[in-house]
Order: sequence, then structure tokens, then C-alpha cells
Amino acid sequence: MDAELIKDCVHCGFCLPTCPTYVLWGEEMDSPRGRIHLMDQHVQGTPLTPEMAGHFDACLGCMACVTACPSGVRYDRLIELTRAEVEREHVRQPQERAIRGIVFALFPYPRRLRLLKLPIRLGSRMKTFLTRVHPSLGAMAELTPPPARRVRLPRRVAARGPHRATVGLLTGCVQGEFFPGVNTATARVLAMEGCDVVIPKDQGCCGALSLHSGYDGRKFAKRVIAAFERAGVDTVVVNAAGCGAAMKEYAELLADEPEWAARAAAFKVRDLAEFLVELGPVAKRHPLELTVAYHDACHLAHAQGVRAQPRELLRGIPGLSIREVAESSICCGSAGTYNLFQPEPARELGDRKAARVRDTGADLLVSANPGCTLQITAAMRRAGEQPIPVAHTAQVLDASLLGRRVVA
Amino acid sequence: MIATLAQRLKAVLPDQAVITDPVRLRTYECDGLTYHRATPGVVVLPESAEEIAAVVRLCQEFQVPFVARGSGTGLSGGALPRSDGVLIVTSRMRRILDIDLPNRRAVVEPGVTNLAITEAVRDAGYYYAPDPSSQQICSIGGNVAENSGGAHCLKYGFTVNHVLALELVTPDGDIVELTELDDGYDLLGAFIGSEGTLGIATKITVRLSRAPETVTTLLAAFATIEGGGTAVSSIIGAGIVPAAIEMMDALAIEAAEAAVRCEYPAGAGAVLIVELDGPTAEVARQFAAVERICREAGSFEIRVAASAEERAAIWRGRKSAFAAVGRISPAYIVQDGVVPRTALPEVLAGIDRLQEEFGIRVANVFHAGDGNLHPLVLFDDAEPGQGERAETVSGRILDLCIEHGGSITGEHGVGVDKSRYMPRMFTDDDLATMQLVRCAFDPGYLSNPGKIFPTPRLCGEVPRVRKGPHPHEAELF
Amino acid sequence: MADEALASTGVTLRPAGAQDAVAGVRPRWVALPESTEEVAALLRVAAERDLAVVPVGGGTKLDWGPPPERCDLLVDLCCLSEVVEHVAGDLVLRVQAGITLETLRDRLAIAGQELALDVPVPGTTVGGLLATALAGPRRFRYGTARDLLIGITVVLADGTVARSGGKVVKNVAGYDLGKLFTGSYGTLGVITEANFRLHPLPPERRWVTAEYGTDVRRGRELRREFPVDPGPLLQELAASQAEPTAIELDWADSGDVYTLSVLVEGAAAEERAEAVRAIMTGAELGDKPPAWWGRLPEHVTLAEIRVPPGVAGQAVREVAGADLPGRRLRGSAGAGVFHLGLRDGAGVTGIRARLAPLGGRVTVLAGPDGGADRWGPIGALGLMRRVKERFDPDRRMSPGRFAGGI
Repeated sequence: MDAELIKDCVHCGFCLPTCPTYVLWGEEMDSPRGRIHLMDQHVQGTPLTPEMAGHFDACLGCMACVTACPSGVRYDRLIELTRAEVEREHVRQPQERAIRGIVFALFPYPRRLRLLKLPIRLGSRMKTFLTRVHPSLGAMAELTPPPARRVRLPRRVAARGPHRATVGLLTGCVQGEFFPGVNTATARVLAMEGCDVVIPKDQGCCGALSLHSGYDGRKFAKRVIAAFERAGVDTVVVNAAGCGAAMKEYAELLADEPEWAARAAAFKVRDLAEFLVELGPVAKRHPLELTVAYHDACHLAHAQGVRAQPRELLRGIPGLSIREVAESSICCGSAGTYNLFQPEPARELGDRKAARVRDTGADLLVSANPGCTLQITAAMRRAGEQPIPVAHTAQVLDASLLGRRVVA
Repeated sequence: MIATLAQRLKAVLPDQAVITDPVRLRTYECDGLTYHRATPGVVVLPESAEEIAAVVRLCQEFQVPFVARGSGTGLSGGALPRSDGVLIVTSRMRRILDIDLPNRRAVVEPGVTNLAITEAVRDAGYYYAPDPSSQQICSIGGNVAENSGGAHCLKYGFTVNHVLALELVTPDGDIVELTELDDGYDLLGAFIGSEGTLGIATKITVRLSRAPETVTTLLAAFATIEGGGTAVSSIIGAGIVPAAIEMMDALAIEAAEAAVRCEYPAGAGAVLIVELDGPTAEVARQFAAVERICREAGSFEIRVAASAEERAAIWRGRKSAFAAVGRISPAYIVQDGVVPRTALPEVLAGIDRLQEEFGIRVANVFHAGDGNLHPLVLFDDAEPGQGERAETVSGRILDLCIEHGGSITGEHGVGVDKSRYMPRMFTDDDLATMQLVRCAFDPGYLSNPGKIFPTPRLCGEVPRVRKGPHPHEAELF
Repeated sequence: MADEALASTGVTLRPAGAQDAVAGVRPRWVALPESTEEVAALLRVAAERDLAVVPVGGGTKLDWGPPPERCDLLVDLCCLSEVVEHVAGDLVLRVQAGITLETLRDRLAIAGQELALDVPVPGTTVGGLLATALAGPRRFRYGTARDLLIGITVVLADGTVARSGGKVVKNVAGYDLGKLFTGSYGTLGVITEANFRLHPLPPERRWVTAEYGTDVRRGRELRREFPVDPGPLLQELAASQAEPTAIELDWADSGDVYTLSVLVEGAAAEERAEAVRAIMTGAELGDKPPAWWGRLPEHVTLAEIRVPPGVAGQAVREVAGADLPGRRLRGSAGAGVFHLGLRDGAGVTGIRARLAPLGGRVTVLAGPDGGADRWGPIGALGLMRRVKERFDPDRRMSPGRFAGGI
């Protein structure tokens, strides 16, 4: 733990209203300010009690507090360090350990995930039974979308029209397996905007899931860096918010290994929306007569500060109008693995978000993160209503560039 | 005793609303002022006035003090808990109960945040006027306790001018209602700003104000703070009451720049933010005058917000200033004092002298329109002696305020932090008279004891026995 | 002897005459102190000798309210009438309680400033204004005395001199005794000094005035009532972004029209008044107020009606529907506060019952109460009695003059 980082907090409380668990429970110890206070207690010598660990586990890691903090407290770093500390010191209940084991052995590995898609899907019929065994298993079953046909992307997609850039595309684990349509749309949009798109086969997982939960993600990071270095790209474009956020921190993660630190520093990562706005639009936008609600994924809005760019891209589509979702800075409860480990608050937050999305009356929800999409759709299904169609920014742009309807 | 009380509390509140775990309790040890800390004996998180009343009655039964807390953002330690008492946290009472636009009012629970009210009525063209810098998180209950102001109170007044009725739990545990419509003493006005010493507000009816037709925000940069001061005097002298006039000095600008990249004009020794609002025609005339005055006073750059975003950008630096100072100094004291506006130049010069004398830096952020100073006294707590010197400078600044006919607090409240300065501003008789009010409400001295007043007044029984029956008492025989 | 003890204070003293009666109760002496210290000396003697004290300023409202249970000493503050401090650059004023608002207005006008309160009773002093908390048309924009008072000096029943607030507008140090004393009808102590925040005199003022018909024939009966609820118009005026300072209504029983007059003041008043005129059909625009502006209606019995502003229109209709011959209704329709002039107190109970469902209150300020309680319901009477007991345990300060028999 870093006592200096803790000292940056002046206890002003500006983080409270943005914290999802504070919004739910109104308790100091389930707010960023309270958690930092707990970290401080621990640094000062208070042993890590199960109560303390519980409040750290309850943090979604959405980083809304980082955006809100006027003192520049690195809560992102603090909670990551704390989570590692919890994993080292805190002995979890055996059942909880087992669940964590399954998730971290599964989600970061696309191939394993692929193999398990069918069993999970079958499991959704047994949701009630699984919930009884462990709420996390029930949550997993509830969240899984219907199986999507696997899409094999080519290793390289050539730019349409004059060449403007050569970019790498991170396909992501959950994105790639559950939302393959997003990756094809991303590749097409980039190509139509004049980019050669390189998609290395051996890229693997970016490590976000592990990193955000207090596990070592360095081996994942090195593999990703190496893969894209070999591909010879200017920039790696990422369409999953959580992955992008983790990859932008590789330099910090690998700071202790000089060789890798230098390679990580040279590794240029951009979110898709961020990249496209920097690049500037060239391809013709066809009108889409649609009212969309844009959902700010925490790992995009808070962790990467990408809020304006996706809206700018959407506004650039003729005929399309955007509605803002109330409480847009509050997390939907997905938060990486959160909805698996803390299913109850996650469900409450999901319901809250679904209600706010519904209030917009939009035809389509645009979400740039696969976890959020799964979470919000599940909440709507739970409320017994027809879920609002959800599409990634890339898919909406793709439709506009192609002059087709949006296929979510 | 506290353990027994905690057991009894669990009988009147849901289990998860009573906190007794020591690690959890400690997270409530201070509010926005971290200098004073005390771990509360018990924390309760009630969800209704009835629950609060039940808690207060138990406190009376056990003769245990209680302290109310909202979001815990206060800057005078007004919500500092008692280790031998109960901390009553209203953060779960955050429902907006009614929005009544025809009567221009809203009824809310105490834990509702200040900004949430405005957000709830903004689309209808209304807002809640008091706007403390912490408005996104500070609770209305806390605003009532502190009589909070904000940047715009120059024109629109304070919480007390915008609260129409209150339901409160008295220190006896009774639920009573105070409304401005009723006859009798203005207890509503006396309660607001009493810092939790007269009871706990459980339902608050606030006035909703019509959003002005036009809001114009201007940022003027000056080479020196004197230039800004001249402009302020001339604006007021011209008969203009802006919605807000805020000033920041070079050090405060530096901090804000580091925190939120507000991009105020480079090389500014002071910036002035002037906001005019009201009917478009009125604002247009006043704006022309303000712009001219700023130029005449030597402003080298004037920016005018052309959109809501630009307006927010101008305010961002100001609103984040307190916490932003954390970026340029390891530790600091946020001071809050008031001087008559015409005494500002002298007091600022006095602060400069203190900086030199003690070798302590002071950043100045202030509501220039009403003379409310927020000097930020910077120090390094790792350096031996610096903390004490900063504390001395901070106290001397209050002395300066008192000497010039001002006040030791304009909006942060007295709390526990400034009770020792009260005798410098008021006589013993003044303080004893104020405490008569307290004795009427809280003769047992259990409601937030140790705040505001340096020494408790023992209330005892009503001093002398009344002669004859009360004229309104029924005659039984 | 008590008179000797009073005389020993050195304060000018005279025996009271019939003209000094407080709502019919004649005091024994009238004292004319010239400083806060002299008031304190008098009250110390009063405490020793168990004398009941009533403070008086201009004496314009001395016959208002119920008579005191007893009254020995009238403390006349006429000689405490100095402007103690007026720093124009601070827009702040400190005055003694005996100064009349007219004198004050003239003094402040020289500096281009004003105390933005218009009291509807000529000759009212600052102390009288505070003790009764009476307010005029501009309460809609500026609030009442409590909202502009920033500091106060009082002398308590035992002669203790206490101050609260100060001479800065923004100040939250200590309890606000000014709020407590404003509207306390002399029952907590004697107000000797007050500090106010001032406003710049508006460069322009415009009144937009219109008359609206009221006569309606129902069957054979001619009834005076509002054919159209004025509520929507009042709502529109109150929400107008031309930001009127006052929205006043005047309606005499004898007339078949009621008048609405709206004040717009400040920069660009003319243009803004035009915007108000566009809302009010048939309105005229001028730079003089109607003759009745800012004055109480003629009355024998005077009642104050207070309703939430959104139901002001309904309240007016309720008054119209009540059988109150010779009544005259006037007041701040925008703020929901009206004064009702009556020939006697007979109709008070009825009008109170009609307004109660709207959340309205009716207080009899002056004149015969017709057997009704002068005061409306009070939510926290128990607490108020406790406050009174702490400040004046012997019940010697204007005893019985206030709500709930305080």
C-alpha cells in the first residue's frame, strides 16, 4: 500500500454521489472516501478484517470517483494495490475461492470461453438451481447471451480509398466470443476510414479482468505487446472499454522491468471512438433515422476520459438523435467481474440503469463495452420486458457507412 | 452503556442500520474537516423521522449525546462525533417527496443532495438557489444546519431565505413542524444555522426559484489583486448586484490549473469571475457596464462564456479550488472569514504581512461581492513546526476579520473548530443569550454538544417560577 | 418606590396619559431612553421591581393585537433614532430602533441606496417594523424584514444587553437572535439597534396596472366574485422572466372591479414592463404606482391572510365567496400574503374555515376579533413557550400580547 497516495485524499466527499455502492447503501465505508479511510486504517496497522475486505470487494472499480475527485487521488491505483493486498492477506471462504478460480481460469482465455459457451447456455435453464448452489453461478447463467456464430476475422483488412494509417485491432475475450459482430463492424469502419487493419491471431487476453481484481496481469500484458509489435502497427485500436483502460496502464504495470517498461511506453493504444475522432471522418455517412441513448461505460468515460468522442461520432450521422441517460456517471453494475462476484448489488444497479435507459424512450442503446451490454440487457429481461436493442458505437457507424440498418 | 444502548437501538432500527464494528465506526470519525477526529460510539442510519425520534428518545433515556451528520462535507467539524454518543447519519433519507411547481416549492428528506433538487426541476425552468461549492454532494439537512450560502448568495441569499418549512425531531424526541406561514416566533429562522444543536431536520420544504432568462459569466484577469478589488468596488458602486463576484489570487489559480486545467489567462495575479443573471435586457445593460469597469480597473484579458459548457469551464477552476490546493501543498487549512467589502484591501495586505512574518504561503479564494474570504493556509506537515505556524496564521486571519468588523465564519459554520474564537466576536452576555435558545430546545445538552459555544451553559430549571397559572392553561376547578 | 428607582437611572421619565394606552391598557410611566445602556438600566430596575414593560416606537401599531396582561412601563424609543453607521461601499446600515423608515429612506437616498422594505404603515420605526414583521409589496422579491436584517442589539428582561449577527451580510457565527426577535411583538426583550443589508436604488421603476371585472349575476342574485380564477394570471406573472419586484392586488367590496398592479424595477425596466404588459390584457404602463400601493386597506378589524403562492387566486375567490360586507382585500398576490380590512371581526372565523383547506392562515392584526382567536394555528407552540420562559421567566415583557397567549 502506498501511504502517500492515501494522503492525497482531503476527505471532501465529492466522490460520494458518483459511487454506485454509496448510491445504493448510503454508507461511508462503501464510498471511495470511506474505502480510502479503511486503507489508511490498514496502513496504520489495523489488520485486514473480513468486514474491511467486504467493503473493498464491494467496490466496482468503475472509477467514477477518479473523474469526480478534485484532488487527483489515484483511487484506481489504490484499489488495485488494495485488491492485491486482499488476495494476499485475506482468506476467503472456500466456496468463494472456487468461484473466483473458475472465473479467472475461464474468461481471460477465448478458447476456454468458447468451449464453455454451450454448457453456460445450458446452465441458464438451470438458473434457479445454480443460484441456490452459489449466487455467482446464477448470475453467470443469467448474463450469458444467446450463442452467436463464431466469425473468423482475416489477419489483415486493407484500407478502402487512400491509406491513412495502419492499426492493430484487439479482439478481446468476451467481445470476441459473445459479440463477434462488433469486431467485424470495427474492422470495416476502420477500413472504410482508410486504415489498414491488422488482427494478430496470437494476441490473447489483455489482462484487464485479472488486473482489475487484484491478480497479476503482467504476463498477459507482455504477450499483447509482443503480438502487436510483431504486427508492425502505428496504433492499437480497442473497442472494449475495459481492455482499453487496462492497456493504457501497461507502462505503469511493467514499470519495474526496464526492458518491458520501455516497450510498454512505446505501445500506443486508442479507444475506437477516440481514434476515429483524432483521425477525422472521411467516409460518407448515410442517414439513420434513429433515436439512440448513449451509455457511458465506466472504463471508457471514467478510466479513459472518453465521453465526448463517441457522442461526436454519433452526432455526425445524419438523421440520428441522441438522448442522454440520467445518472450517466453511475455504473450499470457490470464492472468486469463484479456482476459475477457481487451479484446482488450488481443486479440492483443493473435494474436502476435499465430504468434510466427505458426512461429515455430511445429505439436503440449504444454501449461501447460488452460487459455493460450483457448487464443492461439482463436487467431488462429480468423486469419482464423486451430488452431494448443494444449496439456498439462501431455497429452504428458501420451501418451508416454502409447505408444499412443497424444490426445489434 | 453504549453497548446496551446499541442493543436497544437494534430493537427500533433494522439490524444493518446500526453500526458497531470498530473498523466501520472509524470511517465516520471526521467530516470534511479532518483535523478533529473522534470515533463515534454507535452509528445509526435511520430512514424516517420516526426512526430518528426513536433514536433521540433512547439517547435521552440513556443521557447519551447525539450528533447528526449528512454527507459529512462540513468544514468546521460540525458533525464531529462523540465517542460516548450516537452519530445519526441521514444519508439514507434521500427521497424527494414532492415537487410543487405552482407553489414554487419542493419537499425533500434531509439526505437529498443540494444539486439533486435543482436537477429534479431544471427541465421545468426552476432551480434551488443556494449553491455551496460542494453542492453535488452536500445534503440539504447539512445546509439547514449550517445555513449554507454559496457563490450566488450575494444576490439570492442563504439557506434561511429559501427554506419555507421544516419538520424536525426535537432533542426531546418529538416531531414538530415549523412553517413560515404559522404565527409565533420565527423558530424556523432560529433553527436554520444552529448546527445541529437544536434538533435534527427530517423534512425540508424549499423554495424553488425560476431560472433566470439569461446568465452571463465573465472572467477578467488582472495583473494584481488590487486591480480586481478596484473593479469589485466600482461594480457595487455602480448599483449593480451581480449574481456572483468571485476572486482568486495567483496561488489559487496555480492550484486550480494543476487540478482541473481551467486555463485561466497566463500571468494573472488575480482573476475575477462576475456572473450576471436575470432578464435579458437588464443583464445586457449591466454587462456592458461591468465589462467597461473591469477594463478601466486594468483587466488585461476578459473572457465571456458563450455557452453552458464555457460557463462551466470558467466555474470549474473556482469550484474545485479548495481540494485543488492539495496539488500544490501537502497540507492546508481552509479558512472562512468575512470582512466588510471596503476593508478587503487592508485585510489582504494584513494577510500578506502574516505570510512574510511566519513564512507560510496563503492562497486566497473569495466571494468578493460579500467580503467572504477563503484563505487557504498551506503547509507541509512533514516539516516540524509548520503545522503550528499555519494554525497561528489561520487564527490571526480571523483576528483581522474581527478587527475590521467582520465575522469568523461566513458559511462554514463555527462547529468545533471555531468555538474558541466566539468570545473574540461576542461578549459573554451575547453568548449566554444565544444559549437561552439552546436551553429552550435542549435543556439536557445532548444535541451536538461541544459545538458553536466555547463553554456549555448549564440550563437547569427555568430560572424563576412563573407567578400564577399560564393564561392559556385550562382552569380545572 | 418604583418611580424613584426608575428616576435614579437618569432616564427621562414621565407619567403615562390616556394616549399612551397599549390596546386599552394604560401604563404608569413612560421612559424615554437615549441609548441601549439606558434601556438596560431601565430594565434592570423593572426586573427588581417586577414591572411589566412594553416597548414602543412610532406608536402606530400600539393598539394592534391583544392587550397586555399588565403594563407598568412604556419604553418609548423615539430618542434612539440615530443612523449609527452607513458605509455605502458595503451596502450595510446600522441604526437605532427608534428611527422612522421615512427618515431612513431620505437619508439613504442621498447615497443612492435603500432598505428594500416598504412598510404599509406611515410613521413606523425600525423597531416597530421588526417587532411586527409587517411587510409591503416588494416582499415578493426581497422577502421581509428577517431576510434583510443582518444584526441586532436587544435588551433582555433582566437588563442584559445582547448582540447577534454583525455588520457583514454573510455571517453564520452563532444563533441568529435577529430572526427570533423579528415578529416577536416585544415579548422577548427590547430591540435597540438593527443592522441591515441595503440595495442600490433602482434606476427606473414602472408599474403595469390593469382592472378586471368581477360582477356576476347568478339567477336573481348579484354576487361579487371572481368570474375567472386570477390564479393562472398570477402564476404567469410570478414566473415571468421579466422578474417583477411586486405583484399587488386591490379589491374593494363596493367596486365591481379588482386591480392588479405589477412593479418592475431596475435596469431596462421599461422593456421588461412591456413584457409584463403583454401578459396582462388591457394593462397600462406608468412610472407612478396606483394610489393604494403599499398601504393597508381601510379597516376597523385588520386581518392578514397567508397562503401558499400557488393558491393565491383560489384564496381570493374564497374571500369573494364569503359574506363579508364592506371588506377590502389588498396585498401581495405574488407572495400569497393579503391584508383584509373588515368592518368588524365577525367574519374572521368563517374566512379562516374557508382558507384552511388551502393551507391558509388568518391572523387578526388589529381591531375587534369578533370572538375568534386572533392567531392562527401554531405548530410548535410548546417550543415557543419554552423560548419565552427562558428569555422572560417572569412574564414581564409585553405579557399576553403574542400568539398562544405568550
